[in-house]
Amino acid sequence: MSTDKRPEMQISERELTAMTKDLDELHESSFPTVRKLLDEFSANLAHLTRGRAAGRRGFLMGIGGVTTLGVAAACSSNSSSSSSTSSAPVSTTAAATYDGDLKVVALAAALENLAVTAYTGALDAASKGTLGTVPPAIGVFVQTAMKQHKDHAAAWNAVLSKAGKPTITDSPLTITADQVKALGQVKSVPDVAKLALNLENAAAQTYTFATANVTDAGGIMTAATIQPVETMHAAILSFVLGQYPVPDSFIGVDKAVKPDALAPK
Amino acid sequence: MVSPIDERGLRELMVESDDLQSDAMRTARRDLDDYVEAVLDTRAERTGSRDPGGMWPGWGKAGLVAGLTGAGALLANGVAAADAAQDVQALQTAASLENVAVATYKTALTLPFIGGADANAVVKAFAEKTMAQHTEHGQAFNAAVVKLGGKAQNDPNAKYAAVVQQTVPTIKGAADVVALAIALEDVAAQTYTKNVSQVSTAELRQLFASVAGVESQHKAILLAVKALIDGGAPQLIALPPDAAKLPDAAGGVGFPDAFFPTEKASPVAEGAVK
Repeated sequence: MSTDKRPEMQISERELTAMTKDLDELHESSFPTVRKLLDEFSANLAHLTRGRAAGRRGFLMGIGGVTTLGVAAACSSNSSSSSSTSSAPVSTTAAATYDGDLKVVALAAALENLAVTAYTGALDAASKGTLGTVPPAIGVFVQTAMKQHKDHAAAWNAVLSKAGKPTITDSPLTITADQVKALGQVKSVPDVAKLALNLENAAAQTYTFATANVTDAGGIMTAATIQPVETMHAAILSFVLGQYPVPDSFIGVDKAVKPDALAPK
Repeated sequence: MVSPIDERGLRELMVESDDLQSDAMRTARRDLDDYVEAVLDTRAERTGSRDPGGMWPGWGKAGLVAGLTGAGALLANGVAAADAAQDVQALQTAASLENVAVATYKTALTLPFIGGADANAVVKAFAEKTMAQHTEHGQAFNAAVVKLGGKAQNDPNAKYAAVVQQTVPTIKGAADVVALAIALEDVAAQTYTKNVSQVSTAELRQLFASVAGVESQHKAILLAVKALIDGGAPQLIALPPDAAKLPDAAGGVGFPDAFFPTEKASPVAEGAVK
């Protein structure tokens, strides 16, 4: 990646890096405390395979499942095979394979993979010099956000896997072709930031939609804990673009990617 | 990168964002209305009446209704009443957190380094806009409470009001204010994220999620701002920032968790009207 040297930097990078490391450690340390809930979550997965709604009792059981998903995501994101995103955008039998909540889960995995594809493409374009000089902070943003999207995809794929369904390793969505085409046309960092902002907003709104339209407790809480992360990505991207970073008092759903966007067979 | 815009430019951006968010506000109000309708319909199915009667089902009336309709209805109505009572408590607690946030930003804006002559224009504008958004959230939560027959929560959350009261005298600069705001935004966002799993209807789940996303955006920007202040580079707090001068780590400091935590969430009844 082409970067500037920033000789006049006036901030302690070591301090900020340490802060980020501390936060990472804090995040990772929260996972082991919920491993014991894995059995409850496995039981809750039975709802997904049967497409049955969970009541409040199911909700409470499912809360454990969310963080357990985080464990799965954290573990799998460290492996080379985790949630890899194919450059081939649409190649799936997804719509025919997944029903009910699992269709939303598959949609979410595909959307996360699309985000990974976008950020991977941005890094590729940067390495080729297509975007001009890329500020190091932008590079860190892309890498951090991309890792989190991989974690999210791994979490959703863990659900599919435990439900006996094929995982989603690409982006079988009706919107993918247009997004990949747009990615191929970016010429600058702001171009990439705008594309990423649209995807982050779409993901955040999709998860907001999912909280009301998924019936399984574990799925609902997984969406609920991922949605704020996508909105945070969007806020930072807006700020970098010079847009007001928190434009809405309420996250809407009009830009949500609906389940019927999962590409048909 | 582009040089920082002036304060007027920032205000224009905020006006544009106001236009955008008015649509979102309408959606949120519709969600609230849908939520109220869903709860009242459920009540009608189980009790024969949609009238909350100035009191939430489960707070006195449920026993009478149950006595008239038998043991089976008692069980069904008891579950509905418990769910609905918890919904109202969650909304009241949410309103209490919003009230603390509004009061805190209001106080902060009286400080010279947040709202006065020494203030960074972006930080000042952000504080003003964020306070307004918290006001809207509080109004939305209380509107739902009142429609459902509960009492609006107009007081600040006692636990966090005490935290603010203890912290304010120790504030020495903008970084201290930002740290306090981060703590409050984090508690609110974590509470609403957890509330998604605790409320009884799809509409209310969506409402809490939609506000959680906004509070977490506040937190993200405040984390980035605090990092720059702590690092001795407040001049980089501009809209847009001079990205070329930002330290590498600033790119990721605003979103530390891949999955938003909930361990700091307030209990559902913490801010309920007694």
